[in-house]
Formats: sequence, C-alpha cells, structure tokens
Amino acid sequence: MAKDVAKARGNQIWLLSFYRVSEITGALFFGRLAKSAKPGPIQMDLTRHFADEAAHARLWTDCLAKLGAVPLKLEETYQERYLAAAGMPANLMEVLALTQIFERRVINQYSRHARLPGLDAPVRETLALIMEDEKWHLQWIRDALRGMEAEYGADAIATALKRYAAADKEAYADVLARHGDKLDVLMGGRGADAETDEEE
Amino acid sequence: MGNPLTREAFKTAMARFLKRKPESLDENALLLELVQESFLLVEMIMELQDQFPIRLSQEDLRAVRTVGDLLGMLAAKTA
Repeated sequence: MAKDVAKARGNQIWLLSFYRVSEITGALFFGRLAKSAKPGPIQMDLTRHFADEAAHARLWTDCLAKLGAVPLKLEETYQERYLAAAGMPANLMEVLALTQIFERRVINQYSRHARLPGLDAPVRETLALIMEDEKWHLQWIRDALRGMEAEYGADAIATALKRYAAADKEAYADVLARHGDKLDVLMGGRGADAETDEEE
Repeated sequence: MGNPLTREAFKTAMARFLKRKPESLDENALLLELVQESFLLVEMIMELQDQFPIRLSQEDLRAVRTVGDLLGMLAAKTA
C-alpha cells in the first residue's frame, strides 16, 4: 500500500516535471520566433504566446513546490520527439501548423488530467489556469493560418496539418511506449495500450 | 525584397546567425552538427529566407544534410 502511494507520487512528480520542461522548451522556441519575427500582429501574438509558456513553466514549478517536491531535471522533451517525427518545418506557416497540432495535444492532455478524480488542489488549480491560455493559443494560431491561406494556399496548409497530426500521433505513441507506467493514471490503467489520438 | 544569393552572401548570413567567421564554415559540415538544437535550425532556415528572395517548404529540406547541400538547394530554387 505504502509502496503504491510512493509510486503514484513519483509518477506525479515526473509528469508535472515533464509538463514543466515542455513549457520551458515552448517558451524558448516562441521567444526566439518572437525576437526574429517581422513587426505586425503575428509578432504580437508570438510574444504573448512566449510569455504564456514561460508563465506556465513557473506555474508548474510553483505547483511542484506546493506539493513539497522539486522539479526533476529531464533531458527529454515532447517537442524534440515530435519534431523528429515531423521533420523540420521550413517557413512560418509550417511552424504554426506544427504548433497548432502540438497545442491540440497539450489541451487534450491537460483536459484528460483535469478530469481525474481526487486531484491535488494545486494540480487542479494549475491545470485550470493554464487551459484558459491554451484555448487562446489554439485560437490565434488557427486565425493566423487562415490569414496565410492567400499566401500559401489552403491546400498546402491542410496538407501540413495532416502531416503534423500523423507525426504527433507517432510521437505520443512513442512517449506512451516508453513512459506508459508513469502515465497509467491518466490512461485509466491502460498505459501504453491506451488510445493515443483523443480528439479535441 | 531579399539580397541576391551568392556563395559569399550565403556564408556571411549563416555565419552571422551562428556567430562564427564565414571562412570557418565548411561546406561539407553537417547542419545538425553545426546547429545541434533542432529549433535553432528551424530559426536559421527562416532567417535565410528573410535574407534571400526565396520561400522554402519542408519538402525542399528533405535531402539537405550539409552546408553545401543547403547552398545548392537555395541556388537551384533561385535559378
């Protein structure tokens, strides 16, 4: 019994640390994009997105502290695995399409987590705060991609989204295969056999 | 409006991004060794497109491995 509790706590700390490092990676990426973007609405949205990701990393760090834990130093990030599966985007449209699919994954993951019974209050509160921002992330990128249709073509954008959705599925399946034990609680005990493509 | 693509301009732009001297860029060097973080490589490719009158897609990068491959592909696209 005590062993199960310790294991569940260890898994929770790993998962929250994984969220934290993913948010940090997102902040670093959006920070660089915001720095090099041309002046205009997309530059403004990229800057806000960057700030949100950094704030989320802080929220997860604070959440872990409230749980009496410190973040684990994880080398691996979801984005690196996703990018390896997706191939390198070469223009802003492809970067935003890649991000749109990633953000959909994030919001699905956080929603699934928020629905778990008996969540610790700091985790529940942190998920609620972050998910508000995540909705805006999906919205602004969707709008920006629509605004790019004249320049890149709606078909090219749809093709990119489809390609990145397949890559995301592959990356998520890979994470489940390697860390299914730690994600078991989220998957209702189905671990690596869980469905990997819950839709928005 | 971008700059015309020449070998020298390409190396200067790339060296500026990488904070290196243009002459230190070996055309046989693997891009993933020069720029070890993938997101940084994405940013560099986007910067190069800002510098030169060119638009790339993921498909264009499929066969690009080295600095020379990248230069050759850009040159073919602007020809």
